[in-house]
Amino acid sequence: MASGEVSLVRLSKSFGSSVAVDGIDLQIPGGEFFSLLGPSGCGKTTTLRMIAGFEEPTSGEVRLDGDDMAGTPASRRNVHTVFQSYALFPHLTVFNNVAFGLRRQKVAREDVRRRVDEALALVELVGFARRKPAQLSGGEQQRVALARALVLRPAVLLLDEPLGALDAKLRRQLQVELKQLQEQVGITFVYVTHDQEEALTMSDRIAVMNCGRVEQVGRPREVYEEPSTAFVADFLGVSNLMDATVTKRSSAGSGASVLLGEGVQVEARAGDTHVTGPVRVVIRPERVGLEDPSGAGSANRVPGMVQRTVYLGAGTQVSVLLATGHKVTALVQNAADVDPGWTTGRPVSCHLPPAALRVLATTPPPAPGAETGSGG
Amino acid sequence: MTRGGQVGRTALWVYFVLFIVFLFAPLVALLVFSVNDSPIPTLPMSGVTTKWFQQAFDNGALTGALVRSALLGVIASILATALAIMASIGLSGGRLRMRTLAVSVLMLPLVVPYISLAVGLLILMQAIGVNTSLTAVVLGHTVIALPFAILVILPRLRSLDPLLGESARDLGASEWGAFRLVTLPLLAPSLVSSFLICFTTSFDEFAIASFLAPAGTPTYPVFLYSSSRTPALLPEVIAVGTLVIALSLLLVAAAEGGRRWGERRLVGRTAAAVAVTGGVVKPDTFTDAAQSQPTQERAGG
Repeated sequence: MASGEVSLVRLSKSFGSSVAVDGIDLQIPGGEFFSLLGPSGCGKTTTLRMIAGFEEPTSGEVRLDGDDMAGTPASRRNVHTVFQSYALFPHLTVFNNVAFGLRRQKVAREDVRRRVDEALALVELVGFARRKPAQLSGGEQQRVALARALVLRPAVLLLDEPLGALDAKLRRQLQVELKQLQEQVGITFVYVTHDQEEALTMSDRIAVMNCGRVEQVGRPREVYEEPSTAFVADFLGVSNLMDATVTKRSSAGSGASVLLGEGVQVEARAGDTHVTGPVRVVIRPERVGLEDPSGAGSANRVPGMVQRTVYLGAGTQVSVLLATGHKVTALVQNAADVDPGWTTGRPVSCHLPPAALRVLATTPPPAPGAETGSGG
Repeated sequence: MTRGGQVGRTALWVYFVLFIVFLFAPLVALLVFSVNDSPIPTLPMSGVTTKWFQQAFDNGALTGALVRSALLGVIASILATALAIMASIGLSGGRLRMRTLAVSVLMLPLVVPYISLAVGLLILMQAIGVNTSLTAVVLGHTVIALPFAILVILPRLRSLDPLLGESARDLGASEWGAFRLVTLPLLAPSLVSSFLICFTTSFDEFAIASFLAPAGTPTYPVFLYSSSRTPALLPEVIAVGTLVIALSLLLVAAAEGGRRWGERRLVGRTAAAVAVTGGVVKPDTFTDAAQSQPTQERAGG
């Protein structure tokens, strides 16, 4: 049986003079839950549509299980799509919606019935067979769309922001269910989303896209904790991106010496610690430590003042203005019985642990078209 | 309410009543005189009778014209609707400039006087060496009905979720299969409207029919006109006229009821209620207004 391996080789798509996808290379092994993550307009949906066969590439190849898909129309690829708007046929019952693809394949009647019932059981919609899409809730419609695609046993399932139209709680519930479903069925999922939390929760690997290009590919933990570019760092959550200068590159046993500003030197051990000169550093808010200002000045502790606190329930977001002029957001867990009391205007010492402080090399003001950042 | 407001409202009601009277009085008159026991339609009535209906049905020329018009209407409706579907599909794709031009051309019959069209068609027919014929009448009627059909079908087509067709193809349907199984059933209410409007246009049409129908085989309106010279036929003509009106009313009621039923089956009660009050051509019909909304949210005409 086909393993569902997807290969994109130098894939490009232009609409007239505007470039939607700019030469991307991706290898997705069979059975993986792979996400294309990026902001609107980054080319992720266009890429998905090229895999499905709804758009023809301007150049490059789409390969499924090694076979070049050029010239194969969407109706003949062993790949099916779940759309954000579900695209259920409103004039057909749930049963007939799910049976649609099977009937195109001229499957025998009893087999159609058996497989549709199986598919509905898989998505937990037993008993819904006679209903029409207009009588279903958003979550139920999405399950019908899933059943309709999965009943055909595709090698690869493509999902275009399928949870976008649902409310937050339902979305979280369905994220878990989708992941479980994928593990159960074992086929490749290629999942397009702009929601980084969704991508982090569900994926085996993520490709972060921007302006038609893939900026980084990796496991969720890699992409979040080891971003290779400022864009990836910023897109995957709060990045606390700061301009700084590396004065001494890293050597055995110690990280790079980074000048944050105004005589504030810190050590950074993560990222591009071998370059010198102007760089940017990032640190995740949950790694930033807030301490009593008496400790300011010792290793990697920068004095500052609390500007704002936002209560999040499980934690508190504390915005701090550092003495260097940088603004840093820290995330403090509300785990202690005693409220540490970070209130607006209170002086504080920010601890930026070297292992969590990551250097991102930047090039000086680039000429148009030059690449920024370096490989992860 | 202010005094001025009250006067205004009364005036409006008076206008409305007069309007309705003006519209329906001729029809009521027909009804009255169709059962009047007198060969001349004057008041007071001389008695009630149904003999005019009987005589009308015995009049071969009259019933022949009626049947002929009905048949031509059906054929012209089918042709115009089929062509309109194809035109609408073409107009839904395409680039903006081509589309505006195409639309202008297709809407021309709305502004060209039918009598000019009739004369032109006659000359054309004679140039080809064909004389008057019912085929020519059907073709002429198809041409004039086409814009109406497009105006009914195109908005409905554009209101359909374009992803539905893609979804059908994704699941293995051919282009034709996707059209037959998804697009066509969803277009069905507008097809019914199209048939009705095209049939009415053809049935009522006089100019083209009078020029192009062969002498012995007139259409119903042409027959009516020529029979106005024969006073003896008048009561029969009135009787048939009443029947035609009654049939038309029934047809429209049935079609509208069927259309609402169809909408309900398709999209559920609330959406159908919204859709039914539509049916008006939207200003963005011929432009690139964003179309990608799920079917449940969109209520097409």
